[in-house]
Amino acid sequence: MAIINQATKELQVKIVYYGPAKSGKTTNLEQLHRNVQVPDTASKGKLTSLATSSDRTLFFDFFPLETIAIKGFKTKFALFTVPGQVIYNATRQIVLRGVDGIVFVADSEYDKMEENLETFKHLEENLKTLNLNLADIPCVMQYNKRDRPEVAPVEYLDFLLNNRDVQLPTFEASASKCEGVFETLNMITRMLLHKFLNDGVRK
Amino acid sequence: MGQFPQLNHEDIAHLNVVMHQFLEKSEANIALLVEKAGYLIHQCGSQEAIDTTTFATLGSNAYNAVQFMAQLVNESNFTSMYQQGENFSTLMLNVDENSLLVIVFPTHLTVGSMKYYATPAAKSIAERIGVATVRSPGLGIDFSDLNPADVQSALFEKKKE
Repeated sequence: MAIINQATKELQVKIVYYGPAKSGKTTNLEQLHRNVQVPDTASKGKLTSLATSSDRTLFFDFFPLETIAIKGFKTKFALFTVPGQVIYNATRQIVLRGVDGIVFVADSEYDKMEENLETFKHLEENLKTLNLNLADIPCVMQYNKRDRPEVAPVEYLDFLLNNRDVQLPTFEASASKCEGVFETLNMITRMLLHKFLNDGVRK
Repeated sequence: MGQFPQLNHEDIAHLNVVMHQFLEKSEANIALLVEKAGYLIHQCGSQEAIDTTTFATLGSNAYNAVQFMAQLVNESNFTSMYQQGENFSTLMLNVDENSLLVIVFPTHLTVGSMKYYATPAAKSIAERIGVATVRSPGLGIDFSDLNPADVQSALFEKKKE
């Protein structure tokens, strides 16, 4: 949950990129780190990746990013990814602790639908173990890898992953080409700020 | 799991005194107060040489991982974590439900002496956080005069190629 430091006028917010293995979570953060426009170097932190020797996320990736002040508050977004592989589910729970917003990065390829569904189910279960409910947390769905040849139609992805009373905002993306990456981040940050506007940071 | 409270100037001043006193007594290099979700709350000491934001995040997640291990062996008393290096060592010590103290100190100093000085410091910090929690358990920031139209604009832009 967001942290407010009145003394330093800082608001700190945690966003977690969640999704199945190799869906492009780390690529999203890499593209943001490489391409984001910042007013000064201090606004953009280092991208830290705890990966295996084969470049698969072992624990998490972390990228701190600051932006314009909200009513005099410097806003620090801490962007995290979780490992996609199921064997690291305990690690996902650790990274989800204190989450404010979630980006679910789905793989659009036909043969990944089962993994997408299973991972989304795991997300809901992991949030429950932390006494959190997905319905209470701003969440954006990114349909990644739209540049691949064998991708499912967006309507089908919506039917599988976003079939609910209040649908999540969705974005088509090709993270490897930095398409849809900034749109996704801007939507989740906007949703978080609207939530703060409506609720206050803490209930 | 409770929420880390909102801190004001008096709280930060108190934390500053406690953490500086700890550094003086222990001769440690750096003390970081870290919320367990990975947020750096306050820092004291000679932190110029390291990226304390990343250090805090890595520390909190490593600590949380150890807590997870503790659950697996039904152990409720993994309250600290120590790593010894050649030049510097780190000690992570539980403060309360939501925060921990991350300390960097020269390896020639003992972890025992760190714990000796850090334990009362952590207790004092926890008490102050408790005061802040009682003072404003449900108080959020008032964003009422923020123009919602401002929020609609993109916060982050891609660099021009």
